[in-house]
Amino acid sequence: MLTYEKCVLPLPPPVKGGGFQIPLPSRERVARGGISDGKSSGKLAHMHVRVNLSDSLVGLLGSLAKSVSPHAISKEAGLMRARGFLAVFSLMLVLSMLGPAPAQDVIKIGAVQPITGRFAFAGVNINAGLEDALMMANEEGGINGKQIKYIMEDGQYQLDVATAAFKRIMTRDNPLIMYGESTGLGKAMSPEIKDRYKILYSSTSFSGELADVAVNPYIFVPGPTYADMFGILLKYIANEKPGAKVAFFYSDTEFGKDPIPFARQMCKDLKLELVAEAVAQVGAIDVTSQVLELKRKSPDYVIFQGFVVEPVAAVIKQCRDFGMKTKFMGTFWGATKMIIDNLGPLAEGYMAVNPYMYWWNDDVPMIKKIKTYSAKKHPSVTYRDNSYMQGFMTGLIFVELLKRADKAGQLNGEGLVKALQSLKDFDSGGLSAPFTVKNNKFPVARVWKTNVQKKIWEPASDWMRLDK
Amino acid sequence: MRCGDLKESYLEDEKIFQSLFVKIWLAVLLVFLAVFPLLADAYMLYVANLIGFAIIAAVGLNLLTGFTGQISLGHAAFVGVGGYAAAVLITRFGAPFWLALPLAGLVSALIGLVIGIPSLRVKGLYLCIATLASQFILEYVFVHWESVTRGIRGINVPPPRFGGFVFDTEASFYYITLVVMLMCVGFARNLVRTKWGRAFVAVRDRDLAAEIIGINLFRYKLVAFGVSSFYAGIAGGLWVSFMKVVTPEHFPFSLSIQYLAMIIVGGLGTILGSIFGAIFMTLVPELLNVLTGTTKHFFPGMEQLFIPMKDVIFGMLIVGFLVFEPHGLAEIWHRIKNFFTLWPFSY
Repeated sequence: MLTYEKCVLPLPPPVKGGGFQIPLPSRERVARGGISDGKSSGKLAHMHVRVNLSDSLVGLLGSLAKSVSPHAISKEAGLMRARGFLAVFSLMLVLSMLGPAPAQDVIKIGAVQPITGRFAFAGVNINAGLEDALMMANEEGGINGKQIKYIMEDGQYQLDVATAAFKRIMTRDNPLIMYGESTGLGKAMSPEIKDRYKILYSSTSFSGELADVAVNPYIFVPGPTYADMFGILLKYIANEKPGAKVAFFYSDTEFGKDPIPFARQMCKDLKLELVAEAVAQVGAIDVTSQVLELKRKSPDYVIFQGFVVEPVAAVIKQCRDFGMKTKFMGTFWGATKMIIDNLGPLAEGYMAVNPYMYWWNDDVPMIKKIKTYSAKKHPSVTYRDNSYMQGFMTGLIFVELLKRADKAGQLNGEGLVKALQSLKDFDSGGLSAPFTVKNNKFPVARVWKTNVQKKIWEPASDWMRLDK
Repeated sequence: MRCGDLKESYLEDEKIFQSLFVKIWLAVLLVFLAVFPLLADAYMLYVANLIGFAIIAAVGLNLLTGFTGQISLGHAAFVGVGGYAAAVLITRFGAPFWLALPLAGLVSALIGLVIGIPSLRVKGLYLCIATLASQFILEYVFVHWESVTRGIRGINVPPPRFGGFVFDTEASFYYITLVVMLMCVGFARNLVRTKWGRAFVAVRDRDLAAEIIGINLFRYKLVAFGVSSFYAGIAGGLWVSFMKVVTPEHFPFSLSIQYLAMIIVGGLGTILGSIFGAIFMTLVPELLNVLTGTTKHFFPGMEQLFIPMKDVIFGMLIVGFLVFEPHGLAEIWHRIKNFFTLWPFSY
């Protein structure tokens, strides 16, 4: 072993263990001691030799192996970055070449769906609904002959992953329409959608922030906003029991807080008494303090917002244990069959707002169509929840807007926006009431009530419109 | 052919770029980085920008955790403080981006100094929990101090402008990120070879001995917190101007863990480690996404299976790296370099 040693600095004796690195002459090496146990990096640690290869050999090796170092063990950020970036860049170039070549006469629709993560149960359904609606349209001839291509990526219901997926789809596929996974993503992307991408956008979110034709002309909500839903529920309460005591139970998220200011105002307008506002985390296990507050204030109605199942089930159970006779209500995501399945007999009297019909409403033509298509394409599926219907309805609207824009010869963002504003009494085959656009949303829904014996939801009211 | 490493002064030993060869390659790298926007598409530039922000934040965290030994679980909150400070300065006070960015760093540094005060009394895991508390407290402030941060609605931030030119595309912002990152990394690299850097290392390795030889522990620990938070604030200000929106959702606890993972996988106690770790943690998930995207074409309908596999693979990569090289990617890099230093004579 070559051990040429000529060093001006004094060499301390090697010390093993005790969390120290085996000391080497260079100070930088000492600075890199590290918190963990001083594991020696092999024979090299004892080597005090730095032999330099000739520059030509270095150049050759460099181009071959990309990892040559002709000099001392010191840290040159630049050198590392060169190698790292070159390798990574070439890898990315190669990978981006993969994939099929784009076909002509194909309309692309991209989607970022929460397939994994906190809202996966809804995301998988919404994705299935949107895809089924688009593929059904393809089977029926597409958009005046043009086929739709559906591109989906997983956003995991996390903002950074979803944003990256959004940008990836936009850059790679340049779709005409995008579908997003959360209120957060919609708000994060709205400046770019308006100024740069200019594509039609809708999402799983019913947030009122996104439905504003002046601020976000390209974004629409495929139904009523959460504020509209609260309005419908409060109107229903005011009809049933004027002057009733109401409480809101919402989550500490954008999703939960979105309709609350509007709802507070509505309570005043409808002369309902807002006695309590309880806040909890999504999926909270311990809601005792909130339940105790509700017990103290004893409202007649409690409206949930921002949760799906947990902790709604826990709150209802604990309130019933306390003997409270409160009636519980929820907005769209609470109108799911999961509530009935999870709560069992406790779900008696639970009501929710939902603008779409359910899987068991066989008398609705569109539901029949969905069932036939499901039996054909997904034979193992026995039930599709309201989240599926949301995706499906969005798909129907997309198809209708594409057809109108294509007929007008303007198959681009502006054309789609014009088509959106022209939607009046759009017939979704009975899936919902006729949709008329108002401020980039469709404010119509009905109140549903649980039927615990049959384990289904039944209509408790007719279609209530807030768009007149 | 140079034979032997002959240094005749400490100055020579401390040089960062020690030979002409290295300087040439560094120049090649800088040229490549400058030319990169011409070669890359918008998505790659987006990822490049994110890597830049991650490098700045990771370097800051490594200065605190790797060099000074103060484990901090609140780094994402400081990034958030910087982001919100920049957003408020730009939108509410009309400050130009070039002024708001350093000010945001200073605001974040001030908060960091305040959070660093417990470090006088607590060490190790206990300091960990104290910084974790700061993460949650600051997150709560972001959501509930609505008069300043506008709560969950967030703040829309206009992109930076210089004269008539607006930096609103990924390509144009890339240059801002590049320049700021080079400045930050250069400063940090130089910081660690000064008296301050050596004091940090002394505090990490044996703080009792350091105190005995006259290093004021509290002062250097506070400075470490301050500098680290300054870097976090700069990264936050840049990020917010790039995304053009800031909401509390951007700075969760998982981001703090991600920064910590970056420096652990990259290599604690080295600036190069932070760079490698930031690149690795940002790039590998994106590469895995591209991979799952391409495998989708070969195995249609298997997406439900492949998408979670991504997380599994990523976790295995992290664990694998740490098993085979606990000192991180930087150490792997050094070992490769050392191997070739003696090639073909090594055995």
